[in-house]
Amino acid sequence: MNALPPHEKTSWVLLLQAMADDEWIVAHRGSEWLGLAPDLEEDLAYSSVNQDEMGHAQFYYALLTELGEREPEQMVFARTASQWRNACILESPNGDWARVVALRYFYEVFDDIRTNALTRAPWPSLQAGVRKIRREEAYHLEHFATWFDMLANGTLESRRRLLDAILDMWPKLGDIFSWGEPDTFLSTLDLASLRQGEVQRLWEERIRDKLHRWQIAWPGSVPLPAANGRRGEHSDDLANLLGVMSEVWRSDETALW
Amino acid sequence: MTEDHRMADFMTKIEKGQKIEANDWMPDDYRNLLIKQIHMHAVSEIMGAYPEKEWVPKAPTIRRKMALNAKVQDEIGHGQILLRLAEDLSRPYGRGREALMDDLLDGHVKFHNVFHMPAPTWADAGVIAFLVDGGAIITQAMLLDSSYAPYARMLKRIVAEESFHMQYGESVVLALAEGTSFQRNLLQEAINRWWEAMMFFFGPRQMGQSAQKMMRYKIRTKTNEELRQKFINRYAPRLWALGMRIPDPAVKQDPQTGEWGYTEPNWALYTEMVRNNSGPFSQARLDLRRRAHAGNRWVREALNHASVKPSAAES
Amino acid sequence: MPQGEYLVYEVFVQRQALDFHVNVGSLRAANAEMAIQMARETFFRREEVYDIWVVPEHCISSSPHDAAHLPVHAMDKKYRLPRGYDNAPHWKKFKAKAMTIEDVANEMTGGGGEGSR
Repeated sequence: MNALPPHEKTSWVLLLQAMADDEWIVAHRGSEWLGLAPDLEEDLAYSSVNQDEMGHAQFYYALLTELGEREPEQMVFARTASQWRNACILESPNGDWARVVALRYFYEVFDDIRTNALTRAPWPSLQAGVRKIRREEAYHLEHFATWFDMLANGTLESRRRLLDAILDMWPKLGDIFSWGEPDTFLSTLDLASLRQGEVQRLWEERIRDKLHRWQIAWPGSVPLPAANGRRGEHSDDLANLLGVMSEVWRSDETALW
Repeated sequence: MTEDHRMADFMTKIEKGQKIEANDWMPDDYRNLLIKQIHMHAVSEIMGAYPEKEWVPKAPTIRRKMALNAKVQDEIGHGQILLRLAEDLSRPYGRGREALMDDLLDGHVKFHNVFHMPAPTWADAGVIAFLVDGGAIITQAMLLDSSYAPYARMLKRIVAEESFHMQYGESVVLALAEGTSFQRNLLQEAINRWWEAMMFFFGPRQMGQSAQKMMRYKIRTKTNEELRQKFINRYAPRLWALGMRIPDPAVKQDPQTGEWGYTEPNWALYTEMVRNNSGPFSQARLDLRRRAHAGNRWVREALNHASVKPSAAES
Repeated sequence: MPQGEYLVYEVFVQRQALDFHVNVGSLRAANAEMAIQMARETFFRREEVYDIWVVPEHCISSSPHDAAHLPVHAMDKKYRLPRGYDNAPHWKKFKAKAMTIEDVANEMTGGGGEGSR
């Protein structure tokens, strides 16, 4: 991809880094649930979802390396918090299972919209990879949609917990739709459908239907967030996460593990 | 048929090497031994997930992280498979998944000594995959011959998955052994921590009554000492080849008999730890299981309660 | 169900004690007991089997044939397969032999084994 004009390269980096970092961080937090899921069968299911997401991140990081960014291992283990571009909600610590279900359902719908647009990306290896990724993501989305329905329609307690989780995270979701830069860069990639307003509109349409189906009041359009992870603005939660994640790697940076 | 005749028929079947199925007639003694063995096996798999789980967030490469996730996932999966067998056997007692899991949290069923121990470094996670899984593979391979067919069948599946664990564990340990002096040192220290626990793992030379009965019923087919000898025979030479020390000078092979010597582990210490869940990490790891099981009971209740089928596939 | 029709039963066979049941086809029968008897001659006229299951067709739920419902391994999953690891050259460097699970299984279920006495 070295033949790309520089502004186009920068645009791809912007796009792919947000996607790679989202997938990696969501999977890292997800993998913290190992051995703690509500039943043994779900432990297996959820773990595979998280392994899949790590694989997707790995794919995007490899493309970033092609664009001249650091090697995937360096991207994961050597960056400080302000160099990460994931949405803030994904780095926050795990709550209860209702929060997992709400967050992962919201995230999978968002990722579905995002990857769907990329199936038409004018970059053949990205397009091919995304098509494979979407075969795995179809199951992730199905899985969490099912969980959402079950909790919404389960007991009073499960419904209350689900509503609490939704209301708690709603004001913190905003940066997920952002790219950290004005949307104009997308037109250089011929991907205008990924404009912040457009993605958010599609997402809200789908989520509104889901909430309506279970008589959950619409909390209103997702507001702009206080901090924008796409600009490297993160909470201490990310710094803590990275500290834990790179502990062994940092203990001997010359070592092969 | 009288009870005596049934028992005689049953033992003839066992001695001829025929298999017993879940719904076949079996003496209570056989059923209870199976429940005890498989229940303990199941919860040991589940509790065995936790020491390695601690290292999932810290795994030092992308591939190691994915692999360790997959390995811990498999341990939970083996727990799932085995618990299902124990649940089926416990049906006449009116006990299912919830009751069998509660037994673990209430201290009524024990899990393997090794999982009560701390795993303070990445090398411990590697040595667990290398030595503990190595020991477990030897034990489980023996059970492929078990007279209880559902157990033998599911062990085929489990052993096939263990093949990945074996390769993964070796790969981590080899990388450390080939690595910097810092890494080699980490590896040596981890081996020092785990060797004695591994000698205990296979149980006393003089087997208890239940273990002896399990041999008679061909639920298991080898003695504790046979298993331990197979283990030392495989792993001691390999640890030495890696340039590692075994923290027991008595480990050597008698050139005449081929028998391996070893120092008796501290039987009293480990027995007490297993019996009372009083090891350094017993309670912390049981608390994790309690969080999963009791802490998420509301989820299982919600699913049992959900009356409407979930909506069809998302568009 | 048209009136007077028997139920459809799916037939599963376990050929040997250590095999898993596999579906071999279906038949019509008035009840489960008849279904088992009919399965003998419908499917197993020429072979000995260890166990037969019959399951009313309506008791089986099956997955739609699309990516969301069936396992797909679109991306590389070698990290979770034994063949994703090549330890033999590394062991060789230390002058030791690589191990395989087949060795261990053979050794424990009657076959020989490393340095067996």
